[in-house]
Amino acid sequence: MIELNNLHKHFKTKTGTVTAVNGVSFRAEDGAITGLLGPNGAGKTTTMRILYTLMKADQGSVYVDGQDTTRDADAVRRSLGVLPDARSLYKRLSARENITYFGRLHGMDEASIRINTDRLVEALGMTDFIDRRTEGFSQGQRTKTAIARALVHNPKNVILDEPTNGLDVMTTRALREFLKKLRAEGHCVILSSHIMQEVGALCDHIVVIAKGRVTAQGSPNQLLEQTGESTLEDAFVKAIGSDGESSA
Amino acid sequence: MRTLITVMIKELTETFRDRKIIINGLLMVPLLVPVLILGMGALAQSRAETQLESELRLPVMGADYAPNLVAYLATQNIRIEPPPADVEAIIRSQERDVVLRIDESYADDWRQSRAATVEILFDSSRQDAQIPVRRVERALEVYSRQAGAVRLIARGVDPTLSQALQVTQRDLATDEARRGMLLAFLPYLLILTAFLGGAYLVMDATAGERERQSLEPLLATPASRVSIMSGKIAAACVFGMLVLLLTLLSFKLSFAFVRSGPFADMDVSMLAIGKLLIILLPMVLIGTTLLTLISASVKSLKEAQSYMGILMLLPVLPTAILLVNPVKNALWMFATPFLAQNQLILMVLRVEAISVVQWATYLGAGFGLGASLWCLAARLYYSERLAISA
Repeated sequence: MIELNNLHKHFKTKTGTVTAVNGVSFRAEDGAITGLLGPNGAGKTTTMRILYTLMKADQGSVYVDGQDTTRDADAVRRSLGVLPDARSLYKRLSARENITYFGRLHGMDEASIRINTDRLVEALGMTDFIDRRTEGFSQGQRTKTAIARALVHNPKNVILDEPTNGLDVMTTRALREFLKKLRAEGHCVILSSHIMQEVGALCDHIVVIAKGRVTAQGSPNQLLEQTGESTLEDAFVKAIGSDGESSA
Repeated sequence: MRTLITVMIKELTETFRDRKIIINGLLMVPLLVPVLILGMGALAQSRAETQLESELRLPVMGADYAPNLVAYLATQNIRIEPPPADVEAIIRSQERDVVLRIDESYADDWRQSRAATVEILFDSSRQDAQIPVRRVERALEVYSRQAGAVRLIARGVDPTLSQALQVTQRDLATDEARRGMLLAFLPYLLILTAFLGGAYLVMDATAGERERQSLEPLLATPASRVSIMSGKIAAACVFGMLVLLLTLLSFKLSFAFVRSGPFADMDVSMLAIGKLLIILLPMVLIGTTLLTLISASVKSLKEAQSYMGILMLLPVLPTAILLVNPVKNALWMFATPFLAQNQLILMVLRVEAISVVQWATYLGAGFGLGASLWCLAARLYYSERLAISA
């Protein structure tokens, strides 16, 4: 279970201070998929970066299975599988070598790395290209490899930043099935997206973020009730605060 | 420690899979060295030989005023030529290195035992003219002394009376030292190789990885940032040492093949090679940590590469300073980066003894500097900015 309490984060730029996250709080349960939904630049990536300890919040706290991300950063990172927004592979290594490298960095032994890799290759459908060098991989092959690399240590909590970005329909569907399997196994899954249908089809709990704030949250049905709209798309537009104002 | 080794192996694997990097980064310098040594040796020798032993062509103006002198010069392997129309022009155009002008009052002066005037015309800014000018000077000096002695004897005076001092020279430079002078370029080449041998790998492993956006997933693993950074530094050190080792072996092999010229019989023993390797070890560490520091503080690989120009000049500084202001070896020198390496390499090549204190000062200062840079780089690795590439 992951809990975020009143997160704030500011960045200093040449033109002044930018508030990226301004009081974000939500909870992601085990055995459920939580979706962060928001327009580009809403603060989703920054929220996630604070969650996986890459950044420190100016204010607020994050607990992963009861562990504080600032005080027990190492323990938290061990229990997380992270697919960041920036997720390039090493071109001169094969897909398997990319995955093995991360397994070793997680302190795993070679046998466990092999077993877990084989399991992920099977689940994500990577048999055709697992031993090829990743130079020239398609977007789908790259994303699959990056996901396998992030999950090689079989983490209890899975954080995915825009996992379906740039994927075709078939790959997206396969990925969706994979995430449902993780949920069934009791993992806590958090993913971010700016595509409403994506989140609506997959998530048990939706957190709508706009301008660094949580503007609405709940199950898809609860969101419809709260906004009084009949479709999720209208509900989303209403939740992020009037047409186009913040999504531009 | 496990992380360090994992990262190191991964970086080296990646590097060795790139054929261009292997050729440019690893083999270029070692292959260049024999060409440099064999080529320079042959050139230096052939130049010295032709200038010292070949017939010197000397245009003489006013040869008619001093037929005896001209006849004497002809016996000194100097071929007398008629004067050119424009003396300055042929010296400027480097057609002749030196021209002799005999004054019209020569015959009168000579007969009345006055010092007769001869003039040597040459261009002092030309290195190439030095040997011919010296040959002409020496020939004239000998002639002058002989004639002077004859005049003194004719007047019943012992010619040695006019010489209050008998100055002779004995050159105590060992053969090794003389070669050490010729090898002034060697320390620079070695220091540069050690300093920047692993440059590509370091820059790519930090600035490049950040630019390609693969650093963020790496830093999201439980592996500590210091271990990751140290792994990258270790990989670059291994690569740098490999370049250095190949370069040194290439030196040894080239010297073994030189049969003649200034580098002939140069014995680069395994012991000397070993000492050079130890001397350059701290340089490898300083180079890679400094580059890691730079790579972690810049925004892109391009920006990191823009520092290369300045870095390549650093090893020249001590040589340049010593050229302008030569000083004797003092202990502080062995604690000054670049200068220390320069002095120690020369000492090894001259087969001079290096004391325990000098070794200790040097290694302490070298590794100390490396460790400080390492700590600074580690601090940058913990900055939030590092991971965020976009």
